[in-house]
Order: sequence, then C-alpha cells, then structure tokens
Amino acid sequence: MKNLSMDDRLAVNRFDSDDHNSHIIVDKTACKTCPHRACTFSCPAERYKWDTVNDVLSFDHVGCLECGNCRLVCERLNQGIEGYSWNYPRHGKGIIFREG
Amino acid sequence: MSDEKFQVIIIGAGVAGSAAAYRLAKAGREVLVVDRGKAPGAKNMTGGRLYTYALKQLMPEEWQEAPLEREVTREIVMMMTPDSAVAVDSSFASMNRQSYTVLRAKLDAWMAAKAEEAGAMMVAGSTVDGLIVRDGKVCGVKIGEEELEADLVISAEGVNAIVAERAGVIKPVEVKNVAVGIKHVFRLPEATINDRFNAAPGQGTAMLCVGECTKGVSGGAFLYTNQDSISLGIVVDSLSWKNARLPIAEVAENIKQHPAIARYIQGGQLIEYSAHLIPEGGIKALPKLCADGFLLTGDAAGLVVNSGITVRGMDYAIMSGIAAADAANEAIEAGAYSAAALKGYETRLKHLVLKDLETFKNAHDYMVHTRHVFTTYPNLAAAMMKNMYTVDGSPAKRIAGVAKQTISGKLPYFDVIKDIVKGAGSL
Ligand SMILES: Cc1cc2nc3c(=O)[nH]c(=O)nc-3n(C[C@H](O)[C@H](O)[C@H](O)COP(=O)(O)OP(=O)(O)OC[C@H]3O[C@@H](n4cnc5c(N)ncnc54)[C@H](O)[C@@H]3O)c2cc1C
Ligand code: SF4
Ligand code: SF4
Repeated sequence: MKNLSMDDRLAVNRFDSDDHNSHIIVDKTACKTCPHRACTFSCPAERYKWDTVNDVLSFDHVGCLECGNCRLVCERLNQGIEGYSWNYPRHGKGIIFREG
Repeated sequence: MSDEKFQVIIIGAGVAGSAAAYRLAKAGREVLVVDRGKAPGAKNMTGGRLYTYALKQLMPEEWQEAPLEREVTREIVMMMTPDSAVAVDSSFASMNRQSYTVLRAKLDAWMAAKAEEAGAMMVAGSTVDGLIVRDGKVCGVKIGEEELEADLVISAEGVNAIVAERAGVIKPVEVKNVAVGIKHVFRLPEATINDRFNAAPGQGTAMLCVGECTKGVSGGAFLYTNQDSISLGIVVDSLSWKNARLPIAEVAENIKQHPAIARYIQGGQLIEYSAHLIPEGGIKALPKLCADGFLLTGDAAGLVVNSGITVRGMDYAIMSGIAAADAANEAIEAGAYSAAALKGYETRLKHLVLKDLETFKNAHDYMVHTRHVFTTYPNLAAAMMKNMYTVDGSPAKRIAGVAKQTISGKLPYFDVIKDIVKGAGSL
C-alpha cells in the first residue's frame, strides 16, 4: 500500500472548519526563540512547519485533529503565555470522526 | 441567573459521561449532558477494545444491542525489527464475550441515545468554557454567554480536561504523563478480513507490536479488526517522543509498509485518520477526584492502565461513570454536595479501578525507562528465531547455544536481568 501525503490523509476525514477563528494561537515571531520546536515533529496532523526560507513557523489550524499534543509539548501553549493559547473549537466546529 | 437548574450537569458525552447520565436518568434525576462534538462520539477515538464487564454492569440487558464490532478471540503480540517480526499468536475458541473491538463514533452515539431514552437531556455541538464557582462550590457551567446551574457537575471531558484545569479544581496534566495515539481506519470487505485473519464471522483479532514500529521509542503499534474495517495505529510516550525528535506522522504512516503489517491491510481504503492523547500517569498522577459540587471521571481523572500489551480506559471510564452517578444520587438524597458528602465516589472506585491503577503503578516508568524492550529485545528475538530456523549445512546447535550466540556481545547480561526483574515486578 502506498504511503499517502498528509493532505491525502486529512482529505478522507470530515471537518466542519471554522476557517476564520483559530482555536490555537501561537506567536510565530516569538517562536523564533523556541529551543526545541517540538510542535513541528510532534503534531500528528503536521499542522506546524518550520519555513526554512523565511526562518519562521507556519501553522494552520484547519485540519487539526484536536488531540492536544501541542498543548503539552509546547511550554508556551501549555502555560498560555502572552501570544499563545489552546482551546477546543466552539459550536461543534472542527473534526467530525465518523469511525473513531 | 439562568431560569433552569439541573440536578446534575455532565461535561462530555464520551463513555464516562453517557454511563453516568444513563444511570442518573434511570434513577429519575434531571440530568443535562453537554458535548462539544457535532454529535456524541464525533470527537472521540480509541484503539480499541472494550472489556464488556463494565457495559454489562451498566446495562445488564441492553448491552447486547450495543454496536460492538468483533469479539476478540485471537491475540497477537509481536516484536518488530525493520524487516522481521517474531509473534506470539494465541487463538481461543471462546472468550465468553469478554472483549470486543469498537469504533467510538458508533458506540458513543448509541450510549448517548440510551441515556436520552432513559430521560437525560443531551446537548451536542456546545463547548463548555468554564465552571460557575461560588464560595468554592461548583454551581454549574458556562457556555459562551450562557450560564447553566446545577447542584452537581460531573466532568467527563476526557484527557484535555481544560474546564477542570482552568477552574483550578485539578492540577493540569503534564507532558510526562500522556501518550499520543495516531490511528488509521482501513475499509476492507468483511469476508476478506475473515479470510486474512482466519476468523469465523464476528470473531476478531487484537495485535500489539513493539520495536521498529515506534523506532524504539517507548510505546507500540496496535491493530484491531472491526466488522468491515481494520484499525491500525501507534501509541508513543509524548515526552520520549519530544526528546527523540522524530517526525511522528511519518513514523505512523510507515508502519503500513512493514511486511508483518502490510499483508493484513493490503487493498484497504483509508477512511479515517485520527489522533488522541492517552493519560498514562496512573495512580501517581491521580488528581483529586471530587471537590464541592464536583466529580471527575474517566480520562479527565486519568483512569487508564497501559500494561504494555493492552490499554484499558473505556471500561474504567464506564465504571467511574457508574460510581459517580451513585455518589451523586446519595448526595442528592442527603441534600449535601460538599467534597466530604461525595467521598462515597472514591470509596466505590477503590474496589476496582483504583486497585488496578495501584497494581500497575510502576508500569509506565518501567516502559519509559527500559529502552531495551523497544530496541534491543525485538532485534534479539528476531535474530534468535532466524538462527534457530537456519539450516545451511553448518553444524547444528542446541537452542541454548543459539540464544547465547545471539545475545553474545549485543547486550550486557546485567541489563537483561535487571529488566526482567523490574518488568516482572511492574507489569
Ligand atoms: C490510540 C488509543 C488507543 C486506546 N485503546 C484503548 C483500548 O483498546 N481499550 C480501552 O479500554 N481504552 C483504550 N484507550 C483509552 C480510551 O479510549 C479512553 O480511556 C476513553 O475513551 C475515555 O473515555 P472518557 O469518556 O473518559 O473520555 P472521552 O472519550 O475522551 O470523552 C470526553 C468527551 O468530552 C467531550 N468534551 C471535552 N471537552 C469538552 C468541553 N469543554 N465541553 C463539552 N464537551 C467536552 C468530548 O467531546 C468527548 O465526547 C485508547 C485511547 C487511545 C487514544
Ligand atoms: S513548540 Fe511552541 S514555542 Fe516552540 S515553535 Fe512550536 S509553537 Fe512555537
Ligand atoms: S491539537 Fe494535535 S492535531 Fe491539532 S495542532 Fe495540536 S498536535 Fe496537531
């Protein structure tokens, strides 16, 4: 069986995304001082990427599987310091598992 | 002020929340369950295998109609190297319906419907943002601008218990006490699954793997057969993974290619890709289970045991839902909702759930700190089997000689003995 790209994997899921309001907020500029960037290899949906050209973090909340791992591997998200917050999406938005 | 007051509000319609709601509704209580999913189950994922005793205790008759996938009658434990695998494969004629594979979107929707039928009120698509706390007593929940009051609030909100955390009723969960799970569900015809797994209709397989599947990081892979699909995924210790700095989604994807896995899922069509955390801190990380007007159940309380070959959380979630409902009933009858009045909850949990957590209290530390289990041993096992089965015309050896030859130079004997002694004590 062929390996699938993340886009192809996420495309089989059902989402009702809140395109305009992100339930996770990170300060991409402040992230430059992060010593580990654990979000970039600990997110099961690969939502966090380090853009090596511009040397800055990129993050897309659409496609998030709402597991909460970034909330725990990232101290800043965990403590909710200025510029960082983690919440569940509101009003039933986000992932809709049909299998689970 | 709100115009309505419930006797009990439950946050979360997972298995813990719906179990509590069902039991309370059956006792005639006014119960409201709020879930953030479009429908109950829409946010939930598990491995999974459900041990049925808990569901039976909750619904002695009705549990038979539950949407269970296959009865697990075959258990495979496998050690993996990059290209080989050694497995212990056990088949049982009957397990007396002890455990079934499940899919949560179906199971949770069914349990929530049962609770509703019994009289509970279900509100889906609403995220609880906070608790109403007055003079230290939890008096209800906040949903956006709205406030809903209750004599008692039961948190069944799962592993990311941010409502309870932010209200300060529990200590926030720590990265060292969680594992992260990633799962693929592949659609395959029922008959193909029966053939491939050599199973009679309705019978299922549970397979657990350690070694290469997690690149030697503490954790493992799992495979469960559902009626017409296969659940395949990995579970890894979150902190160990952070330290290992490996691309998690890629590792999860690559297990599809391992020869020992690929043949089972071949031709399957991916129908879902999911991720979820698992609390693994056990008894050592146990939060306070009640506060004034408040009870904590299931994953929110960290009631999960990972014994190495099986993760158990759903049965404990249901049992804790039952215990919370019983404690709530007592409190309502007495008209007293203080933490002291709710103490009966913990006493009830002690008998089974907390006892198990106590039994496995060192398992998590053992797994995390015993790297040989995930690295060296799978290699040794595969090499030894290969040596044992090798007939190439050179002088034959007895098995003990093969073992010695395989281990020789690869591992300090002292480590092996230490791991065995520690493992035997904690698993
Ligand atoms: C990969 C993996 C494999 C596993 N394998 C097994 C297994 O084989 N066997 C087993 O027994 N256990 C297994 N477990 C553990 C098991 O899935 C959990 O222990 C169990 O689901 C816990 O149930 P719960 O009801 O406490 O929490 P959950 O099922 O997480 O339910 C929490 C509910 O609360 C809702 N919610 C959360 N926050 C809010 C909010 N703020 N407002 C409103 N609603 C909210 C959610 O939508 C959800 O419905 C596994 C877990 C994982 C991740
Ligand atoms: S781990 Fe947190 S602080 Fe570090 S790069 Fe990622 S989001 Fe930024
Ligand atoms: S919650 Fe999980 S899936 Fe979503 S961004 Fe964080 S780590 Fe990725």
